[in-house]
Amino acid sequence: MRGPQDYGGLPAGAVDPVKHEHVPTHWEKTVDALMMLIFDQRRQLARVDESRRMQEMLGEDYHKYPYYERWLQAVAWLMLEKGVFTQEELEAKQTEVRGRLEAERSGN
Amino acid sequence: METKYQPGDKVQILQRNQPGHVRTPIYVRGKVGVIERIVGAFPNPETLAYGHSGLPYKMLYRVNFKQGELWSDYDGSPDDTLEIEIYEHWMAPA
Amino acid sequence: MSEHHHDHDHGHDHDGKPIQEDELPALEAQILETSVRELLIEKGVVSADDIRRAIEAMETRGESLGAKIVVRAWTDPAFKEKLLTSSDDALMEFGIDMRPMELCVVENTEDVHNMVVCTLCSCYPRPILGIPPAWYKRRDYRSRAVREPRAVLQEFGTELPDNRQVRVHDSNADLRYLVLPKRPEGTEGWTNDQLEALVTRDSMIGVSDVRSLDELVG
Repeated sequence: MRGPQDYGGLPAGAVDPVKHEHVPTHWEKTVDALMMLIFDQRRQLARVDESRRMQEMLGEDYHKYPYYERWLQAVAWLMLEKGVFTQEELEAKQTEVRGRLEAERSGN
Repeated sequence: METKYQPGDKVQILQRNQPGHVRTPIYVRGKVGVIERIVGAFPNPETLAYGHSGLPYKMLYRVNFKQGELWSDYDGSPDDTLEIEIYEHWMAPA
Repeated sequence: MSEHHHDHDHGHDHDGKPIQEDELPALEAQILETSVRELLIEKGVVSADDIRRAIEAMETRGESLGAKIVVRAWTDPAFKEKLLTSSDDALMEFGIDMRPMELCVVENTEDVHNMVVCTLCSCYPRPILGIPPAWYKRRDYRSRAVREPRAVLQEFGTELPDNRQVRVHDSNADLRYLVLPKRPEGTEGWTNDQLEALVTRDSMIGVSDVRSLDELVG
């Protein structure tokens, strides 16, 4: 049984060290920071191993998600699993945020 | 904590089909390598991943493989190697 | 939302699609991130300031710290010995504490070239080198670095003679890896600053050698 993350030795394309270079965006750094904060000594809300398990649970979607979207999904699922917030709270928040961000984007 | 293997020992990585989160990639399973060094005792990632304590600790080793052992069609130098960390419960004497 | 304002060089995302400066993530991703972040703040788990500080901290870590460690090892044999055999103590001298992870430093020589990959995720010595490069996290590198390292090295422009052994390190568990590149000949008497300018991030991952002296002069 091969998990989606287990890439070692599979056929894949060329590495393009110019095209595949990327300065992390502020958004990506924010996701990175959220992950580091839930792991840190003060909070210890989750471990890196748990984050990896969550990313592996993406299954086939693992390959489609950009790197930091995998991280983000893992943070969200971990916080639900730990009971930091509930699915209902998350959905209500997403509805509210969607309205705000859609208005913001169309205003751009 | 006791170490079952010493540097230089030949080991075979287990060909185990285990569900859940594991850190032994498929490409080394069933392959024979040599203990390069004892890394030490670490919490078990297979249970840490589910929010458990990771106890009992597992002894971790670095295992050295000839690339030709891993890939029958390896076309680099025959001296090329790969080293990877493997927990004691994933290997047997070879 | 000013916090989504980017001020970086133009870049490319992980799937190789070019992205514009200031480009936002996909709307769905931005909605989820904003929702999770706001809930964590409302619940008192993190504050906006904690997030800002975490981002600041990650921006202070990067290849220049790695370069300092490499140059110290090039110029101080006792330090190099410590770095190779008990890296915790050596790193303490730079105020770096990687525990519970451990740093494994692998030395390039005339006969051996080391190269690091994490096939299962993207483990990387973040306290020393910062956030891993995009290519390090992509499937191409993670799949092929273990199976055809010499071909991958060529894609980085790194040509190795057949008689130089390639050692690939799959960073899959509790160690993190730093390649100690070879100090180029002709750098005797150089200052630390001059030497540090030779050491690139890629040379510490082992996909290339350090900068050549010509590159530096140019």
